[in-house]
Amino acid sequence: MAEGLSLYWMQSGGCGGDTVSFLNAESPDFITLFEVLGIDLLWHPSLSNLSHVAHEQILQNIFLDQQVLDILVVEGSIITGPEGTGRFDLVQGQPRKELTARLAAQARYVIALGTCASFGGFGADGIIESVGMQFHHKHSGGLLDASFTARAGLPVINLPGCPCHPIVLKDTLMAVASGSTPRFDEFNRPLDWYGVMVHQGCTRNDYHEYRVEESSFAERGCLFFHLGCHGPLTHGPCNRSLWNRRSSKTRAGVPCFGCTSPDFPQPYPFFQTRNIEGIPIALPDGVSRAHYMAYKGMAAAAAPERLKNRRTDI
Amino acid sequence: MESKQSTRTICHLPLNRVEGDLEIRLEVADGVVVDAWSSGTLFRGFETLLVGRNAMDSLVITPRICGICSTTHLLAAAMALEEIVRVSPPDNALRVRNVALMAEHLQSDMRQSLLMYTVDFAHATYQGRPWYEEAVKRFAPFRGESLLEVVRETKKILEMVAILGGQWPHSSFMVPGGVVLMPRPADVRQCRVILNGFRKWYEHRILGCSLERWAEVATLEDLAVWRAAAPAHRESDLGWFLHIAHDLGLDRIGGAHGAFLSYGSLPLPRRTVVRAGGDAEQWVAAGFYDKGCLEPFTQEYVAEQVASSWYEDYEGGLHPFKGLTRPQPPEGEGFGTKYSWAKAPRYRDAAPETGPLAEAVIGGSPLFRALVDGAGTSALVRQLARLVRPATLIPVMDLWLQELENHPNGSVYQQPEPIGTGKGFGLIQAARGALGHWVRIKNGVIDRYQIITPTAWNGSPRDGVGQRGPWEEALIGVPVEDLAHPIAAGHVVRSFDPCLVCTVHTVHRGRTVSRARLR
Repeated sequence: MAEGLSLYWMQSGGCGGDTVSFLNAESPDFITLFEVLGIDLLWHPSLSNLSHVAHEQILQNIFLDQQVLDILVVEGSIITGPEGTGRFDLVQGQPRKELTARLAAQARYVIALGTCASFGGFGADGIIESVGMQFHHKHSGGLLDASFTARAGLPVINLPGCPCHPIVLKDTLMAVASGSTPRFDEFNRPLDWYGVMVHQGCTRNDYHEYRVEESSFAERGCLFFHLGCHGPLTHGPCNRSLWNRRSSKTRAGVPCFGCTSPDFPQPYPFFQTRNIEGIPIALPDGVSRAHYMAYKGMAAAAAPERLKNRRTDI
Repeated sequence: MESKQSTRTICHLPLNRVEGDLEIRLEVADGVVVDAWSSGTLFRGFETLLVGRNAMDSLVITPRICGICSTTHLLAAAMALEEIVRVSPPDNALRVRNVALMAEHLQSDMRQSLLMYTVDFAHATYQGRPWYEEAVKRFAPFRGESLLEVVRETKKILEMVAILGGQWPHSSFMVPGGVVLMPRPADVRQCRVILNGFRKWYEHRILGCSLERWAEVATLEDLAVWRAAAPAHRESDLGWFLHIAHDLGLDRIGGAHGAFLSYGSLPLPRRTVVRAGGDAEQWVAAGFYDKGCLEPFTQEYVAEQVASSWYEDYEGGLHPFKGLTRPQPPEGEGFGTKYSWAKAPRYRDAAPETGPLAEAVIGGSPLFRALVDGAGTSALVRQLARLVRPATLIPVMDLWLQELENHPNGSVYQQPEPIGTGKGFGLIQAARGALGHWVRIKNGVIDRYQIITPTAWNGSPRDGVGQRGPWEEALIGVPVEDLAHPIAAGHVVRSFDPCLVCTVHTVHRGRTVSRARLR
């Protein structure tokens, strides 16, 4: 593994949730991980105890190429409003987006952590005119244009999720440290983590399979048909790598809101499934409507009593 | 103190470890702060995301305002809708909600204290102090012994929230009428094991004594006796905090206006062994305390002013149901009459502070009443209240978990009528203090949404009559030895546990902001 990788962590228009989630990283925790990978954390806004003068000096050294910046992690959306000025988010009187772009130009790798930094997230359609680092929703080109590559040759690595699961950042840092190039999907998300559906591993799968539906909260059933669950449509590891080692939203009875998707937050209501004649408009990823209707009709008829009577635990 | 013009300096202090973006401007004369302005420099404008959306969507969107206290926003949003549909959650739902909220508090109190507060004691500025080596050993960023343990223990305590609600942060498991999951007895037992493991650690590392022994500390004399009584007391993180904070004089700086606010929190289940003071229905008392005088809290007295905030002016203060948010971004450096994205909430024109200290004072804690009524509020007292709050939370959490385990067939959800038209508010105590959501719904759709966060209270800018916000006031008189690094000013502001990510997006409806008006 490489030694002495410098990392600068930028928080912009976000909630800090990706940081506090990363603090939950397991086996090893984030401090041990940094030690093992030889990561030298130049600055983290929630954790560093440097004076602001010392912090300024680090920034100047990076811009003067006197300090190598191996990894730039950006958390939070890039606020470009009002009217493209970026003045809704200022750093000592200057738009933060300009500082972020200058740092990206110096970095060997740029990681967009969370859906806001990846795709714009909250505010992408609002007056703050937020964008992601290299995407705006599904469209390539954000703060940085579509052709941007960081100094090591990769585009911005998108690690969406609201928040991003801590293991995803951990693994991406490991990949960078060992010099390997992750395989990406069309939105520059690493396939190792976004090549799986949230639905996979959900403990409600038995209910989904036989179309035993939950229509009210706190029941045993599948949340896909009435309560707006996006698990079968959403790429992410929530039910493969559990949250806080314990559970996931769908296991606990909270619908998946599709938070790793470029269009999160969706414009239509969260706790409802849009449907035609009882069949959801948005079907599981890649499924043909006619076949799905025939299959679900037969599956419901084949449902065992233990599921119909909701005896099987979640 | 009249000082010579030539000695006055303006010092800009961008402050980190505050969950968000904070820039403080200090006016320093003869080595002491004589005036202060606090500026939240980020506007996130959540209003465009909430207004026009389905009423229930606030349960998904508002937790995303703040990473470190997402569960409190969720609960405030659910309670605001419950006012409209007039539904009362079943007892087990109240237990699940309360325990999850308190687990988030434990996490926040410990992370703030050890990852964001005491790390400054290990800064090279303090090299040469007799306690410096000990401070580095315990509190240094990324390697202090206590800090490493806090990283390990806080993620464990959050496993409770995941067991009860799926994940932390940013779940949406609380809904109008209750919660979405009745945990199995086995799940509840897992929560109890986690809680009691945390308790053992907290007693050993933070307090240096049992929760019961700490509960005996009810007066200033008791505190002196406790410190003298055993080496373990002095060599705990609490013991070292008190030692270092006294040596730095943090007991003599950082007082604000002497006014405190709590909305009250943690409603008691109808049947529970947990008792609150008097016949209160909430375990955390509500109230307004000003210079020795305690009054009941009245939500109608809350109003927000924008005289110093980057919004279009209006007269006086507006109650959150009538609030207006029309942003006017600053020109140039941004420090004029208007200097912050935070508004200035006031309680009947007073600028109270809120947080664990306010809860302790309003709840009648003899120790904190004695501290505040005696020598007065200080950075030390404020941070102390946060450091020892878990000692009061843990036993109550365990009682509610036991009740959950003993009522496995109790309901956790009472399905309400569909949400139609109406207005409601959800007022609770977040980790950092009083948090309120005020919402108006028309035909199931959000028509207006206004949030006032704890940091909006504590970090507010001046109001229409020039009254400083609490931490602006608390900065007056703070010594500044090094203009490039006014570390004591940082101690004072961080004793409020600032969370700027929340504060700068006071949410509300209003009309769509016309682009032309912004320039």
